[in-house]
Amino acid sequence: MGRPDLNRRQLLTAAGGLAVAGSFGFAALGTGADALASGADTRVRYWNLFSGGDGANMITMLDAFRKEHPDIAVKDSTLQWGNPFYTKLAMAAAGNRAPELGVMHMGRVTGFSPGRLLDPWDVDLLAKYGVREQDFNPALWKRGVIDGKLYALPLDIHVQLCFYRKDVLKKAGLLGDDGRMIPVGSTTEWFDVLKKAKAVQKKGLQTIGLWTNDQNFQWWFFVAFYTQLGGEWFNAENTEVLFDPDKATQVLEFLRQHVTDGYVIPGAPTGEQFINGAPFTWEGNWSVPVFSGAKLDYGATPLPPVFGKQATHAESHAFVLPHQAGRGGATNDGAHQLAAYVVQHAQQWAAGGHIPAYTPTLSTAAYKKLTPQNEYVSAMDHQATEPKVWFAGSTGVLAQDLGPVVVSSTMGSAKPDKVAQTMKSHLTKLLASKNPMDGRTAAQGGAVA
Amino acid sequence: MTTSAQTVAVPARAKTATAAATVRRKQGFQHGGWFIAPFLALFAVFVVWPLLRGVWLSFTDANISGEGASFVGLDNYREALNDQAMWDALGHSAYFTLLVVPCITLLAFLLAMLAHHIERGKWLWRLCFFAPFLLPSTVAANMWQWLFTQGIGLFNETFGLDTPWLTDKSYAMLAIVITTLWWTVGFSFLLYLAALQGIPGHLYEAAKLDGANAWHRMVHITLPMLRNITGLVIALQILASLQLFDQAVVMMDFGPGPELSTRSFVQYTLEQGFTAYRVGYASAMSIIFFVIIAAVALGRMALLRTREEGTR
Repeated sequence: MGRPDLNRRQLLTAAGGLAVAGSFGFAALGTGADALASGADTRVRYWNLFSGGDGANMITMLDAFRKEHPDIAVKDSTLQWGNPFYTKLAMAAAGNRAPELGVMHMGRVTGFSPGRLLDPWDVDLLAKYGVREQDFNPALWKRGVIDGKLYALPLDIHVQLCFYRKDVLKKAGLLGDDGRMIPVGSTTEWFDVLKKAKAVQKKGLQTIGLWTNDQNFQWWFFVAFYTQLGGEWFNAENTEVLFDPDKATQVLEFLRQHVTDGYVIPGAPTGEQFINGAPFTWEGNWSVPVFSGAKLDYGATPLPPVFGKQATHAESHAFVLPHQAGRGGATNDGAHQLAAYVVQHAQQWAAGGHIPAYTPTLSTAAYKKLTPQNEYVSAMDHQATEPKVWFAGSTGVLAQDLGPVVVSSTMGSAKPDKVAQTMKSHLTKLLASKNPMDGRTAAQGGAVA
Repeated sequence: MTTSAQTVAVPARAKTATAAATVRRKQGFQHGGWFIAPFLALFAVFVVWPLLRGVWLSFTDANISGEGASFVGLDNYREALNDQAMWDALGHSAYFTLLVVPCITLLAFLLAMLAHHIERGKWLWRLCFFAPFLLPSTVAANMWQWLFTQGIGLFNETFGLDTPWLTDKSYAMLAIVITTLWWTVGFSFLLYLAALQGIPGHLYEAAKLDGANAWHRMVHITLPMLRNITGLVIALQILASLQLFDQAVVMMDFGPGPELSTRSFVQYTLEQGFTAYRVGYASAMSIIFFVIIAAVALGRMALLRTREEGTR
């Protein structure tokens, strides 16, 4: 008899063991189980960082995709944006538990170890689903290309804007015949505009909301105006720092003057005061739904070209393929299909204030009707971005190092010229330091497009 | 020869007693061991193993993906000790601790005295003093961030000030300290209150009979009886304050505060590990911090022991 003697205890132990093993097994087989449950053949897991209005818009787009493609089960997860998101994505990719599709800020892609934590897009497959290079702004598309391969498929660009209250500006005589803010071409003109607006605005509010103590916003404003001055960061080989402290000082003094001349209440909330009647605020385009929801009579233009040249800080949400050891097959195909679909159906996304990266969307009548989006769509053509190095990008090392330094100048606790020198020394140190992901400096790294 | 009989008898008895104890201990472990096994397993998996792994990582240049790390010896430690930003961050944590610990100890004591002696609405006082401690740090920090905001905040409004609490480096840490006092004093307050209630009433009665006034009773009965709890409160507060992180981060909008003035050691470690992805370096900083905290804790224990020996 081959049958072993089983007593009650052994039987219970065995049953318990099976139950535990089974639960692990099902966890591992989650993909298949979920796909079966939804009746679809292919499951695409998609990690994003969109909450609030953006999150709602994204879900609407995903639902539309689900309706059209019942054969693909989209399992979307929204995670906390910023570093927590990038940490999870990196660890998932390193541990081979990566989702099929993810979203990143374009500026962070270079530092995200393309080739190791990210897989390149299959451009032919994208083209099959209707997305081609020529449908994108060339500068934007190139930012996603590393070592000749496309690693980031842009969904949008998002920019810092100058929001203005038409009711206040009209009183101050600052509104043109077209109902838009009069153009500004120098710092003198800009402060003149602020002075006139202040004279007619509601008392007790600031004239412009500037996020003076926010390291991200101050850094973004700095990048915008430094670019307006034609400022450079590094040479093409990333071996030399070309940062110009004189130009930087000019920018820092300009930002600082808003505080010294009393147009800003440091630390005061920006959006709320704008809604309450403050004439200006510089905010991200994601504030459009908030201000539109408050039924304000307002406009939004790219940051004023006070140093002569148009440039406004721009980041971009982009689709990426987190590294999977065995990437390919139906799930990979599904990821390409989903990303291509969302990129092409970004009209919904534009309602959230973002400028769709897929240029055919921009020329549709529906998009042209969107206000104030149609007033700042030109920002696509004069994007001020951080240098393309591993330490750049939204909430990255560069922003984290330089943002607080800019804040200290704007808030007045450090002198602009001294701060400019500090920034240069930070940049020198960062350029020479090694990317912890692959142990290579920017000069050695795969940062060349 | 009773003495010799006793000297022989005692070891013999002791021998059997020891043997019995060994048997009991063995049996005790067999049963007790199973009871503590789950704890030991969790402790090993979630405390001992990460600690050992952290020590190992601190000798490597590991990044967040955990791939391609190589042994770098003491490089991380060398770099950390020369890293001005790390020393600044440590300074901020220490400064915060120096401000918080005496204030919270005194405040907790005074509030406990108040709650202990007030007869009417006792529960209300206790609730008021303790309730903030139940709030999650993010809630407390967000509330106070609003209260401190210059221009619209209730704090300046109430006291007729125009202080840039959150945006100037001379005030930012102070704002965090005030928030922390309000938020966490309840815990120490509770410890004091329990200790106050534990002082036998007859001591006070006897002292009164001997003609001791309120001040004497306080200095000669209350304070000495509370000495142990004061030591505990101070020790717990030092350890908690050195680990300053969440309230500061939330109040400063996840930044390092004006001119980096509120960046704590924990925050800087986190930035190195999870923004700069330098897991090896961040591990080395964690180990350094571990050593500092352990030194503080051991130092306090040593101090307490000498004091106890002194009073014996």
